[in-house]
Amino acid sequence: MKLEGTHELEATRERVYQSLVNPDVLQRCIPGCQRLERTGENTFAATIRAGVGSIKGVFDGNVRLEDLREPDHFRIVVDGKGPPGFLKGAGDLDLQQEGAITKVKYAGDVQVGGTIAGVGQRMIQGTAKMMAVQFFTCLGAEAKVAPGEPPPKQGFFRNALRWFSGWLKSLFRR
Amino acid sequence: MIPAAFDYKAPATLEEAVSLLAGDPDGAKVLAGGHSLIPAMKLRLAQPQLLVDIARIKSLSYIREEGNQILIGATTTHYELESSDLLKRICPLLPACAATIGDVQVRNKGTIGGSIAHSDPAGDWPAAVLALDADLVLVGPNGERTVKATDFFIDLLTTDLQPGEILREIRIAKPSGRFGQAYQKVPHPASGFAVVGVAVHLSLNDDGSCKSAQIGVTGVGTKAYRAEGVETALAGKSLDEQTIAAAAAHVCDGVDPNADLYASSDYRCHLAQIHTKRAIQAAKA
Repeated sequence: MKLEGTHELEATRERVYQSLVNPDVLQRCIPGCQRLERTGENTFAATIRAGVGSIKGVFDGNVRLEDLREPDHFRIVVDGKGPPGFLKGAGDLDLQQEGAITKVKYAGDVQVGGTIAGVGQRMIQGTAKMMAVQFFTCLGAEAKVAPGEPPPKQGFFRNALRWFSGWLKSLFRR
Repeated sequence: MIPAAFDYKAPATLEEAVSLLAGDPDGAKVLAGGHSLIPAMKLRLAQPQLLVDIARIKSLSYIREEGNQILIGATTTHYELESSDLLKRICPLLPACAATIGDVQVRNKGTIGGSIAHSDPAGDWPAAVLALDADLVLVGPNGERTVKATDFFIDLLTTDLQPGEILREIRIAKPSGRFGQAYQKVPHPASGFAVVGVAVHLSLNDDGSCKSAQIGVTGVGTKAYRAEGVETALAGKSLDEQTIAAAAAHVCDGVDPNADLYASSDYRCHLAQIHTKRAIQAAKA
């Protein structure tokens, strides 16, 4: 399956590139990423809880970055597997700066197999698109923050709401 | 094809169901007709800890006309909607849409509320309730709230429904004046899901021209949506061949059409245009 798209981020190309190859940022921004560990110079091991709605699965996998040409290009190679199926693929990311905006263009080919491919075929591309939007929205926020400063609090508002509704609930139960 | 272990509760009232869900908002899941949830559980793509079966709550299944509104209970089955004489008379889009869903077995068990809450990108009901500009009544531990269908569908399998909330009722304004409705669909040959599905509700002037149009589209994007480009192109126009064709060309505006083994993105958009045209023609007739 081909995956491609373009996202625009409000940050310099250098900053976006740095964020894209920074495992701490990636762990915060990859939707459902529970673990991302460096296993070599440009290789990482990851555990990702991916899914939408009630359909969820935990995938274990490896990520390798290749062909690093800072600040405009790298290639990412992934393979992973979990109870719902497996995936492997590779994609190229190209960064292009236009004024204050950096355009990230990605194009890749992913093979998906197992249960998820058999029954969820019509949903795979939609899920991938949705995760890409979440990822780049988060990355955009990360790339705006100067290095050394604390990362943006993505979940602050949601956490506050959850806390508030929990508090209301406890009031009702009393 | 055997699901992971789970608990099962069949409450007798909606209040009881809400309090069961509140006990474990993330691990509990509402079971209605079960025609999407159970297959996902059997494949272990979904592994809820607790199923709260609301299909046995009698007071959740009804089709009523109340003032200028049509009220539909969440666990009303596709078949009940398909065969309702009341709906055939006052809002024929609903029975027309119901008749295209799955097969007889699916229609006997599957529910309108389940389909809407699941928000399958190719589900039929989301398109119909969008075209009818329905209100959805959700009930949760903090009481009841009403959400417009146009605000309810957020993304693939994702809705405004919060953990612990249950969709209770679908409210539709009773169509008045001169109007026309139609549902056009290309079913997937194996699953019956919509490769594309187009629901049209037209308000017509006395001379047969279009006062306003509401068009819900499913199967094309990651969620069902209102084809606003088409609606704008029809509003206030006389519905001749050219106007309809020109309007239908806008059906994929702002949407990145899905691609899968059955239909590429371009083919899917092409199908959507053709069937939008046919649905508008059928609705005005």
